Amino acid sequence: MCETCGCGLPEAAKRRSGEHPREHVEEAVLYRGLLAANDAQARENREHLLARGVLGVNLMSGPGAGKTSLIEALARRTRGRLRLGVIEGDLATDRDARRIRALGLPVHQVVTGSTCHLDAAMVHDALHRLPLDALDILFVENVGNLVCPGVYDLGCQLDGVLLSVTEGDDKVAKYPVAFRRANFLCISKTDLLPHVSFDVSRPGQEARVLKGDLELFYCSSVTGEGTEALLAYLEAGRAKLS
Amino acid sequence: MHEWGVARELVRQAEGEARRRGAREVRSVTARVGPLSGVAPELLARAYEVARLGTLLESAALSVEPDPVLASCRECGREGPLEGAVLACPRCGNRELVVRGGDALHLAKIEIEIGPEPPGGEG
Repeated sequence: MCETCGCGLPEAAKRRSGEHPREHVEEAVLYRGLLAANDAQARENREHLLARGVLGVNLMSGPGAGKTSLIEALARRTRGRLRLGVIEGDLATDRDARRIRALGLPVHQVVTGSTCHLDAAMVHDALHRLPLDALDILFVENVGNLVCPGVYDLGCQLDGVLLSVTEGDDKVAKYPVAFRRANFLCISKTDLLPHVSFDVSRPGQEARVLKGDLELFYCSSVTGEGTEALLAYLEAGRAKLS
Repeated sequence: MHEWGVARELVRQAEGEARRRGAREVRSVTARVGPLSGVAPELLARAYEVARLGTLLESAALSVEPDPVLASCRECGREGPLEGAVLACPRCGNRELVVRGGDALHLAKIEIEIGPEPPGGEG
């Protein structure tokens, strides 16, 4: 606290200002988005994908909900009907990228180090490393984390969240941010339903409070159940681009 | 912990605006943060303590203005703010709600000092 005039500034700041008390103080009312730079990059990504007729699909979930397995299951199901590509985001290792490459799909691994989410700039860099003209759908598999990825627009046309039945049916209201961004929710690992206590209607009900027009899918990457419906939804999204 | 990046952006934008207006110093900065923005105000405040070092905001206190989630209850018809991000009607407990707002993440206001001309300046 300044003892000269009680202005609340520490001594160092007072000295820097030269004269004291100050000549004048003004307030600037701004209300500017703190994610504006990311959002601008996301818009550019979206236009870039659109210009090449590629549907970008951001997949979010907690770690281990089965994002990579779902992409593998969709790739097996589509059998070349749709040309798929993948951007993988992980803190470390290229394990996911190796799984995707083994299917013969174009893939780029983003290793984020200590960053807990992908952002639009990371996706932008990755877009330039993929043969977009040879793709219909580009999955962007976000870092496994149900919190931070929901904050960042990546510039995909669709954002989706996976919630596996082993995580529990109460997660939507506990992690609302990602679900608020989502266009679709995929309840995953439905083959495990006989072994867990999971109310299959609850996540959808809670998610629709956050996002009224949310689409809902129930999938098992092991049995393939539900993957055709999800694929049809993505195919329709791709068709709407042109 | 994406709050570090958000705090740096807060300082970057506030400092840029302060310089444009010819300020010597930023006295205070206000952020508007909603419970559905994905940013925790207490973590933002902690990250800000580091992000402001060596900038025009070095002495600027950060305050966080709330942006409540507004909800209409489909059961009892109550309209109004929710407590944090708890998605239940505060009056009847019903979870069938229509929600809006609560996702603000803004640099809201800055209070700046327009100092005297430096010695030898044009003044």
